[in-house]
Amino acid sequence: MKDILDRVRKEVDQAEVYHHRTRGVPIVFHSGALESIKIHEAEGLALRVVKGGRLGFSTTTDLADPRGMIASAVAAAAFGDEAGFRFPSDGARRAPAVRDEAVLKLKDEDLIDRAERAVRRLQEAAPEAEVNVTLGKGTETVEIANTSGLTVLEERTLIGAGIEVALAREGDIYVLGGETQGRFASDIDLERIVDRLVDYLSLADRIVSVPSKPLPVVFTPRGTIALLMPLLAGFNGKSVLLGTSPLKGRIGEQVVDRRVTLVDDGTVLRGPRSAGFDDEGTPTARTALLEGGVVKGFVYDLRTAARAKAAPTGNGYKTSAFGGGGFRSLPGVFTSNTVLSPGKETEEALIAGIQEGLLVEAVLGLGQGNIQAGEFSNNVAIGFKIEKGKVVGRVKNTMIAGNVYDLLKDHLLALASEPEWTSGSIQTPAIAVDGVSVTSDG
Amino acid sequence: MKGTIRKALERSGADYAEVRLEREVRTQVLFRKDRLENVESSSDAGGIVRALVDGGWGFAVFNDPSNLEQKVKEATGAARLVAARTKEKVELAVVPVVEKEVRATLRKDYRKVRLEEKKDLLESYNRILLGEGSKVVSTVARYTDSFREVTFANSEGTYLVQEVPDVTLMLAAMASDGGANIQQAFESFGEAAGYEAVQGFEEKARVVAKRAVDLLSARSVAGGQYTVVLDPGLAGVFIHEAFGHFCEADFLFKNERLMKLMELGTEFGVKGLSVVDEGYLPGLRGNVPYDDEGVERKKAHLIKKGVLSGLLHSRETARKMGVEPTGNARAISYEHPPIVRMRNTYIEDGQSTFQEMLKGVDRGLYAVEAYGGQTALEQFSFSAAYAHEIVRGEVGELVRDVVLTGNVFETLRAIDRIGNDREMKGGAGGCGKGGQYPLPVTDGSPHIRIQNVTIGGH
Repeated sequence: MKDILDRVRKEVDQAEVYHHRTRGVPIVFHSGALESIKIHEAEGLALRVVKGGRLGFSTTTDLADPRGMIASAVAAAAFGDEAGFRFPSDGARRAPAVRDEAVLKLKDEDLIDRAERAVRRLQEAAPEAEVNVTLGKGTETVEIANTSGLTVLEERTLIGAGIEVALAREGDIYVLGGETQGRFASDIDLERIVDRLVDYLSLADRIVSVPSKPLPVVFTPRGTIALLMPLLAGFNGKSVLLGTSPLKGRIGEQVVDRRVTLVDDGTVLRGPRSAGFDDEGTPTARTALLEGGVVKGFVYDLRTAARAKAAPTGNGYKTSAFGGGGFRSLPGVFTSNTVLSPGKETEEALIAGIQEGLLVEAVLGLGQGNIQAGEFSNNVAIGFKIEKGKVVGRVKNTMIAGNVYDLLKDHLLALASEPEWTSGSIQTPAIAVDGVSVTSDG
Repeated sequence: MKGTIRKALERSGADYAEVRLEREVRTQVLFRKDRLENVESSSDAGGIVRALVDGGWGFAVFNDPSNLEQKVKEATGAARLVAARTKEKVELAVVPVVEKEVRATLRKDYRKVRLEEKKDLLESYNRILLGEGSKVVSTVARYTDSFREVTFANSEGTYLVQEVPDVTLMLAAMASDGGANIQQAFESFGEAAGYEAVQGFEEKARVVAKRAVDLLSARSVAGGQYTVVLDPGLAGVFIHEAFGHFCEADFLFKNERLMKLMELGTEFGVKGLSVVDEGYLPGLRGNVPYDDEGVERKKAHLIKKGVLSGLLHSRETARKMGVEPTGNARAISYEHPPIVRMRNTYIEDGQSTFQEMLKGVDRGLYAVEAYGGQTALEQFSFSAAYAHEIVRGEVGELVRDVVLTGNVFETLRAIDRIGNDREMKGGAGGCGKGGQYPLPVTDGSPHIRIQNVTIGGH
């Protein structure tokens, strides 16, 4: 890394080298049986340079000979965008724990045992179901050095699992799923997912109809992503800068109910994305987004912060909406861990308070509506009918639609008291709102 | 290289082993609003070993091919562990041994076009997008090209070198009326072709920006049941996403109930409905002369005259189901093993003209292009990029927020008109499955008409 910086330093104003190395062992169970084990080792370099104030970028997997990457980045800088920012010099801050020895010590056999237990319980609950499980563990090492004098390195552990259950019958396929991930071996709880899936499987034969009209909806922590994806889009500093966020210019304004408090926190203990620094070497931070329903701040990477004349918040990530990315992408503005503060009542109590409504566990078509405007319009992939405070059966061919700003402003019934890590790196309780428009053909 | 690979495979100790090595050069230019967000040329190289021992799969992924023998051993070790812990024994269909080089010929080779020239072209498109007035608040003009050389060898003696070109263009505009009303429109294009394929999009850029502005004043559609005419773009995405994935045999070949659901001979639609997955048509993104198991392409008829007539296979699924592999085992890159994927998938032409489809539709929708789509087995949800009302047989006002949802099998049976105007479309994104995104594919269809589609809305 230092070699590359030294080689390029004379030619450019600023430079940053990013080195990413992963080692992971994903294990796949297909149709109830162990199918494959993969030993995945990947490594690459990315170089950003600023020359004459302009930015150039290139990546390579050729660690032994990075000359091509250097030449490409320098050449691109001749006509690249104005940088307008400096690479950070100080990455030092008390970093959260991101490495768990227990993950490293876990044997493939241990993971296989865990998956087998999950498969067995699900097959007992539904013998004809197709059960697929993936689980894996690994490490990623990120090292960043730049000409501002920064050198940071962090080794992070990762562990995660996903389960999918499909029950196919004449004219009906019932698909259920669950996922869990974290940096600590104790963060993933397959048993809890299986408990929930077994519970939902017991409703397989109880298909009930829903009227097409505005109804109250309880989003389980997993289901809240239908609301939180359009909501979080508004706090992305780049959308604010571009003018596509409806929250632009509204810091200090009450935009939703006073019970809504939301933070982005890259330092939170046991957050699945917690780290000492982001992919630009900026120390991670806690950024208040909504406090008591009032807009408090937005998240930024270096480049967007410079253009918006805001401070970087440690939200420059080399990722994409579909995951992946790694060293190959330029850093962009992404949330780290997002935490929605819980309320006082249990999820069960929220359900008990509803005369007629829906319980939504998962939706299809995330991000398809006009999410920039806070709108969502989704097919209910896993959802249940609530009647007189009780879950009475599952629903099919049902759409829900609404605007998250409207719903959280004037239609918030309650936030539940039990937060859960879900949807990658969001910690949220269940959310109950009324007036969600429901369209159903059954 | 050939000698090293062959030696490593010979010494694997596995029942079957294969190596896939890739080298890629790619460039990207990305304008957003008034800024050049990225201009990049990069390179990538790496490989994957798959080993089969006593019916268990082990894989090893790496960047540095210099200790290939070691990687083959690691994959074999993983395969042994799987074999020891599973009762499910994988076997592979027998296929011919192939030794071949498949070279790509590009009319205007984008590797020889200077990066600055690509930047200038995209800048000109972006200027057109931005030029459509002050209501256009943001834009995206993105160009990508990639040229991959894939070397595949297995322990049976197959040795293939294939060149895979890919070029894409994405033009998008976001418009706002100053308040919370923010609308977007886009045009997305992808081909296995040269630089010439992305030139001449000036008019399309104008149309995109104008549409984003027009959508600001369009009415939001009312939720309910409609007769819907899909344009070739949206119909192609529908047949790929909602139906095509069901035909990927790796999803069902181990489950009796799912296999029963997709039993050949089952009636899935009207007599006029035929669906095909094709491995090669000149210039298409989904072209796979030989797949990532070294299997030569076969044209797969999924639906023939309304009846399910075939599935898509890898060597493993073909063996298990007692049929021939179709050449559909594909991987997005060396970081992944091949899985069963589509290539160029389309609905064949029918008889109807567009005007005939509109006839008799009292209150319907003409839904155009897919903004996004997602499925969970039989349930699907697609949003149209935009739509027009159909009123008394005529295409009417522009409407927005059209999300189509339903059950794929019911929806296929509800197709009552198939057009005679098929178009093939490879977008700028690709297909996602099993953590592998984006895989270049092409979708196609003529216009189709469907009865009683549920549209979500406020």
